[in-house]
Amino acid sequence: MTEALLQVKNLVKFFPIKRGVFRKTVGWIKAVDDISFEVYKGETVGLVGESGCGKTTTALTILRLEEPLKGQIIFEGKDLSKIKKSEMRKERKNMQIIFQDPYSSLDPRMKVKDIIAEGMLTHNLFKNTRERYKRVGELLERVGIPAEYMDRFSHEFSGGQRQRIGIARALALEPKIIMCDEAVSALDVSIRSQIINLLKDLQEEYNLTYLFIAHDLSVIKYISDRVIVMYLGKIIEIADKREFFSNTLHPYAQALISAVPVPNPDYKKERIILSGDVPSPADPPAGCRFHPRCAKARKICAEVEPELKEVKEGHFCACHFCAE
Amino acid sequence: MLDSGKLLLAVKDLRTYFFTEEGIAKAVDGVDFEVYEGETLGIVGESACGKSVTAFSIMKLLDYPGKTVGGEVIFKGENLLEKSEEEMRRIRGKEIAMIFQEPMTALNPILTVGFQISEALMAHFKMSKEEARDRSIELLKKVGIPLPEQRVNEYPYQLSGGMRQRVMIAMALSCDPSLLIADEPTTALDVTIQAQILDLMRSLLQGFKGALIMITHDLGVIAEIADRIAVMYAGKVVEYTDKRTIFYYPLHPYTFGLLTSIPRLDLELPRLNAIPGVVPDPLHFPAGCKFNPRCRFVTERCKEEEPSLVKVEEGHSVRCWNVERVSKEAKEGLLVGEV
Repeated sequence: MTEALLQVKNLVKFFPIKRGVFRKTVGWIKAVDDISFEVYKGETVGLVGESGCGKTTTALTILRLEEPLKGQIIFEGKDLSKIKKSEMRKERKNMQIIFQDPYSSLDPRMKVKDIIAEGMLTHNLFKNTRERYKRVGELLERVGIPAEYMDRFSHEFSGGQRQRIGIARALALEPKIIMCDEAVSALDVSIRSQIINLLKDLQEEYNLTYLFIAHDLSVIKYISDRVIVMYLGKIIEIADKREFFSNTLHPYAQALISAVPVPNPDYKKERIILSGDVPSPADPPAGCRFHPRCAKARKICAEVEPELKEVKEGHFCACHFCAE
Repeated sequence: MLDSGKLLLAVKDLRTYFFTEEGIAKAVDGVDFEVYEGETLGIVGESACGKSVTAFSIMKLLDYPGKTVGGEVIFKGENLLEKSEEEMRRIRGKEIAMIFQEPMTALNPILTVGFQISEALMAHFKMSKEEARDRSIELLKKVGIPLPEQRVNEYPYQLSGGMRQRVMIAMALSCDPSLLIADEPTTALDVTIQAQILDLMRSLLQGFKGALIMITHDLGVIAEIADRIAVMYAGKVVEYTDKRTIFYYPLHPYTFGLLTSIPRLDLELPRLNAIPGVVPDPLHFPAGCKFNPRCRFVTERCKEEEPSLVKVEEGHSVRCWNVERVSKEAKEGLLVGEV
């Protein structure tokens, strides 16, 4: 196996719940609660889960756009969780992010060329403005936007084009890893496939590694090499894509897959309908966090939290009964 | 199952334009379809294709600058477009009910769930407050809300997204309408909650004599729930036929393109067949066929002359000049295998 580019070890991120005049902390939202995983060079890891499962917080915490409470973020052998903010800023040259909403993630008062060149300026990548803009032009062309549009503002572009600008901005620093945080979720079907194809091509061209966050399992299946499933701040299953989809172990992951509507009128499958809603991450259930909605839950599930165990080579699952 | 029921709704050449300062946006510009009793019609399309505006036009819920400028909406033999506001008010909720996409904005935040369901019952059936309340509790139970006696007194913010959508469904069903229009009812929900709601809708449809129009952008949802499908693009229906035909023998390049551009859970795809270009802006639709700038079957004729929706075989209408060429390629290129 190739080397790990990124190692996340026991990462924890809680957000305080504050109440009253003195903003006293009355509780914690356990957004990410002790997760560990690795991302290997050149692969695409799909991070999947429903709203509130902590997948976005995971990405933001890795980039230290949110400060982790505990845990280590080891990137190319260096622990990023302890370094100074100014040093972290330098590290971010190698780690970029593409956001979900192409409307709010681009500054409406900046020209497209300045949005893309901003990072180059911060990291002193080019000698002068002319060279920077020349590079901006190349990047725009690469992502499918004519270079002469660089003087325009983001509102002059459609959603798909804006997402292309967001991709150009992430590419500008020649990063090693890009976190795609629901990067195609807000796009129309016909535009989404254009962006997915673009991301795939760029990965090959620049030898990129992706942490691809999405709630749509069809997209995850198409783009990922490995899959990580989160539920209420915990990782519940990690596996190779093929293994994951053919031999899903965790009851939640099984339900998630069975819930996806498939555009094939003859596709027969057993649908697992989960009862109830996702509990609040401020007060997750004791034991296994999934047990109140799990059809296979037994007594132990309400008492003991299952650990993420390697069931088969490269296939991890956090369920007391996943070996059965 | 098809054509078993009576014709309930016939939309003919519906045109709804928005008269904006920048010009006339032809949001709906030629929509035709029929809905029979007992069936589910799926309307599928991307943003700004006019699918929601079609629903609002049927309900006559559009405000300035939107205006229905042409066509007919024949519901139970009568043209709704000729009805007065007063007459429409008697039809809305009672005869035709709607489920909206965003239950948080569609429900009134300062009124209890029970009151909002009761409102229509009291208005349409002259029920007393108590009767309406009892009926509301019954309805909440029917849509699978636990502890309905308690929930009936709660406000929308106290409910989760899935619960709110159940309340919306309860409201829509309250007066036993003969036509239900659901506008992206599961789009804002998580997948597992979406599965719950679709499951609920399917089970409610079992005993439902009326018809459902399901508006969505998700071909997966359509494959699960619809009997007949209308594909919309740039304000027009471009293809209209039954579900199996849409998925196995599409004849419009846009339908074909959509089907091959989506990542699939049931298939291993080598590369997505993306449709190039962008969805056109309703203020600046291209001349000729609206899809021609993005179409790989395009000919000179497509750029000049707009095709009309033509019946190519029984129960299958398409708006395209190149049906034969598309048909040939779709037969070879479509990856819908029997699973």
